[in-house]
Amino acid sequence: MSELDRETRDALAELLLAMADDEFVLGFWDSEWTGIAPILEEDVAMSSVSQDEIGHAKALYELLAELTGQDADRIAFGRPPEGYRHAALMNHARTDWAFSIARRFLYEHADAVRLESLATSGYQPLADLAVKMRREETYHLLHFDLWLRRLAEGGDDSRARLSEAIERLWPDAQTVFAPLATEAVLVDARILPEPLETLRWRWIDRVGALLKAANLPVPVNAHLDADGRTRHTEEFAWLHGEFTMVSGSEAKATW
Amino acid sequence: MGSKDRVWEVFRQEAEGDPMVHGGSVKAPDEELATHYAREFYGRRQESERLWIVPRDAITELDDPDLLKPPFDRSFKRPGGFLIKHKLEAARERAGSPQVDEVGE
Repeated sequence: MSELDRETRDALAELLLAMADDEFVLGFWDSEWTGIAPILEEDVAMSSVSQDEIGHAKALYELLAELTGQDADRIAFGRPPEGYRHAALMNHARTDWAFSIARRFLYEHADAVRLESLATSGYQPLADLAVKMRREETYHLLHFDLWLRRLAEGGDDSRARLSEAIERLWPDAQTVFAPLATEAVLVDARILPEPLETLRWRWIDRVGALLKAANLPVPVNAHLDADGRTRHTEEFAWLHGEFTMVSGSEAKATW
Repeated sequence: MGSKDRVWEVFRQEAEGDPMVHGGSVKAPDEELATHYAREFYGRRQESERLWIVPRDAITELDDPDLLKPPFDRSFKRPGGFLIKHKLEAARERAGSPQVDEVGE
């Protein structure tokens, strides 16, 4: 969109990159379940949902590429680990099933809150994409709400694993709403209809109510680590090595 | 899960107005998960307009050969089971219409 001034365009690029990286990295983490999920049917379901997230990342990277004149594949695969801007929630390895479900539950609701808001964005291509993504995310919400309830009611072991995972992931989950350096520009331009902090509290209320309904403890610490999108882990560096292995094998190849 | 799993038969409709056709089956402990899995197995590529998800034990099966394939000639119960060629020829002659080959059997 050529009518955006440089400052607004850079701010929008920061938002798109954060969202795309969230979807991209989570999609890769959960694709790690392919072949080893608890039952065959869930194996297919989890793999399919992970593919959906890669698809959303692709759409977001393409929007970003159009905005900045870059190549979407290069943005996705051509950065060193420290160049990624996913939330700290996506810094953790797959771990066990309860952990993966806990992360998905926390993320899907954060993403839903974010997309609901962006559906009214003043930047029409982003609003259109948010509406489209929400249609697919409806099923993701249903699926991970269902798994949360099941693990909560699935006996002492699954319940304990689930609550421990939620407790452990809670601080990093907040960072989906970590402030962006240029957020004020986005809010002024009505590209981001509401500040991320407003969205974060909406999300806390929503997941809090669902956890309560499942008789799970609701974590109380609502501290937000502002660096959540820039600090990365060894676990992420490993995943980065995995997902860039093929593209990195022949940097100049045409795929 | 595991021991509590039930089998669900999935029927799919490819386009609005098409008949529901058996697609296959999924295993799931209840209707809610069966619906999710049916969606993943028979709808995730946007190949279905509609799915029916039916617990296998709700299906009444009939496969008794005495009832379905009795040993006597039942060809007269099929539309093509009657030899009508000669009757048709006679009828055409009476009506004065031209002969047509290969009508009936």
